[in-house]
Amino acid sequence: MSARLKPLAAALLLTAGLAFGQAPVRREQFIYSILAFNGKDYAATFARQGADTLYLVADVDNFLTVRNAFVYFWPITQDWKTDTSVLNVPFTGTLELSGGKLKEPRILTPVRYTYYNTRGEYELNWQVATGEEADKAWQKYQEVMEDYYARVQQYSLARGAYEVMLNELTLRITRMRDQGQDVSRLVEVLQSLSSPKEPEYPRDYLVPPRPVEEAFVLALPVGEYAIRFFTENGSVMEGSERQLVCFRKRRAEGIGLEVIPGDKWTRPVESTTPSSVLYVDGSADLYVRPFFEQEYNDLYYEKMQRNDARGNPNVMKWVRIQQVPQAGIRLTRPGAPSQVIQEEPFFVEQVKGAALGYRIVPFDPQGAHKDREASLRAFHLPIPKKEPVLRLAALDKNGNPLAGGERQVRVVGPARAGFVALILALLPLAVMAAVLIGRSRRVGS
Amino acid sequence: MNYRLHATRVIARRRIQELAISPGFYVAATLGLLLAYFLVAGFVRAVDSSGFDFRLHPVYDLLGRSLEGAFGGVVVQKLFAEGPFQLVLYVAFLPVLLFLAASSVYRFGLERKVGAVELLAYGPADGTSYFLAFLIKDLLATLLYLAALTGFLAAAAALHNLVLGPTFFYCLALLPFVSVAVYAWGIFASTLTDNSASALAVYLALLVFFLLVFLGSFTIASGYVAGLSTVLAWVVRWVSPLYYWDQTLRYAEVAAWPLFALHLALLLAAGAAVLTASHFILKARGVRP
Repeated sequence: MSARLKPLAAALLLTAGLAFGQAPVRREQFIYSILAFNGKDYAATFARQGADTLYLVADVDNFLTVRNAFVYFWPITQDWKTDTSVLNVPFTGTLELSGGKLKEPRILTPVRYTYYNTRGEYELNWQVATGEEADKAWQKYQEVMEDYYARVQQYSLARGAYEVMLNELTLRITRMRDQGQDVSRLVEVLQSLSSPKEPEYPRDYLVPPRPVEEAFVLALPVGEYAIRFFTENGSVMEGSERQLVCFRKRRAEGIGLEVIPGDKWTRPVESTTPSSVLYVDGSADLYVRPFFEQEYNDLYYEKMQRNDARGNPNVMKWVRIQQVPQAGIRLTRPGAPSQVIQEEPFFVEQVKGAALGYRIVPFDPQGAHKDREASLRAFHLPIPKKEPVLRLAALDKNGNPLAGGERQVRVVGPARAGFVALILALLPLAVMAAVLIGRSRRVGS
Repeated sequence: MNYRLHATRVIARRRIQELAISPGFYVAATLGLLLAYFLVAGFVRAVDSSGFDFRLHPVYDLLGRSLEGAFGGVVVQKLFAEGPFQLVLYVAFLPVLLFLAASSVYRFGLERKVGAVELLAYGPADGTSYFLAFLIKDLLATLLYLAALTGFLAAAAALHNLVLGPTFFYCLALLPFVSVAVYAWGIFASTLTDNSASALAVYLALLVFFLLVFLGSFTIASGYVAGLSTVLAWVVRWVSPLYYWDQTLRYAEVAAWPLFALHLALLLAAGAAVLTASHFILKARGVRP
């Protein structure tokens, strides 16, 4: 590099370094913080200054708060974020709601709330508690946890005492044995000692209640609304006017399948459309897991989860809700009676040698996989290349077929068979040639 | 009325004979079937142990990425959920649809210009029976090609162990109705203009306009383009075949068969409205520009 170019290159490098190291610009903005129920969970998002519409699922409890926070665009993930560590000022006041089927505007006041998911037969047992109920729910959770920690403390003391006694006895036995004394009584005592049992972590909650806070609780019917925030002195907060779209699922009777190919267990795919067909090349077995799903408008659902997300307003999409509990899969092969497959545990082993990759094997808790956890629980579908069509039907815990749970698995044929199709595609030209020749002969004669 | 029907039948028969002995229709059909062949073969090559992945085949990769960028991942997922045949059906049908529509528009414009229609109008036929004959010829050719295409795709599916899928059949049932509306707009463009070139230009411009407005309202782009397209689409949708096509498919998706049938009827009604407008335009402007 010539001497003249060196300073130029250095300047360019320096500028590039400065450009990449630049911190995103944070702007103080009035935002709506949204905790929206998405059919399976509560998703937190926010509507910044430029976002004119909020999206919520209808007829379920959603929570809205208003605050001032720093907002910035994060180019790496291409989305907007808040920096509440520096500025997080919640406002107190009321929310005016109009539109939809409301005859006149409704004024909402903030409500103390909490929400939690209790353990049940299904994964989804969401509860929302407001007012005194919220305090009680939080109190109950605190009590459960305090009780647990008290039991943990007792356990720690008992465990300490047990270990001290164990040490003492061991030392005494060793000493007495060295002196040639009879230790049989002490050995009996030692053997009769048992370790205190560790208390179990409370299993009451899948998602514990969150500390009680204040928010506007919105459970509205389907419709388009307008909202604006009034401060305590009765004036409208500037920039608080927004549209609010409440939507509901179009269909809920769908069953999706999570499909894990045997050779790519880290790359599962989902078959969500009930009429879809699983085309595979038959090089690996499949492991499937059925799940309940609901159908929502793509744009509304995406924006409900993340207000600055993109989506297609003209398309409905299936959303995974939860795994079907105690499900079964009925497998039908051509010319053979149906068989019901049950869910089984499997273990994923890394393939040794140059091949790399993984191999899914049945979980063996007594043998090869002793003291280890199963990697996945799924329904195993062997894919024999000779049987080109397998028909699946997801069953509920009583063995009844679930609506929308039917699928076909097809092993696609070899590409060379397509040569016949190519000949068929050229048939119109052959017909044309025949017609033209026939006509020229007719005209000629 | 009986005279007009008779004239329409006679002219349509003559047009069908002309179509059968000229190479254009066969070439367009071969082009459509070849496109279908390449798309089906590409789909098979894009299947691995975990299913169909459009990134495994260059053509599907380009197509999949473009569609995903414009309309979102859900559209791509739905398009290939049952296999390749929904896409293949449209792609393979397009050359024949365009050939039939464009050739009729051009021919009608040309024959009006040189006075052939005027000559017929001195006899038992009139302008309306003349363009109705074109419509019947195009519709019959469409049905013939769709039957051939379905046979070809069924054979391709059997060869590769694929299935056509229920959505394919909804789309197949829908295409003749959409075609009627598309051909009707061709006739409208011919009656509106004075020669074949301008008729063709107006017709293609109309089709492109319908397509752009429909696609614009369907994209995931936000802001000005989507907003403008949504407003335009709201205005244009009542006359656009693409709007009724989209609505009909939506009702098929949720198995709302009465509404599906209603929208098929609406497609015919939209076509009939355009033909009625063409009839009055022709009456007002005369059979010779």
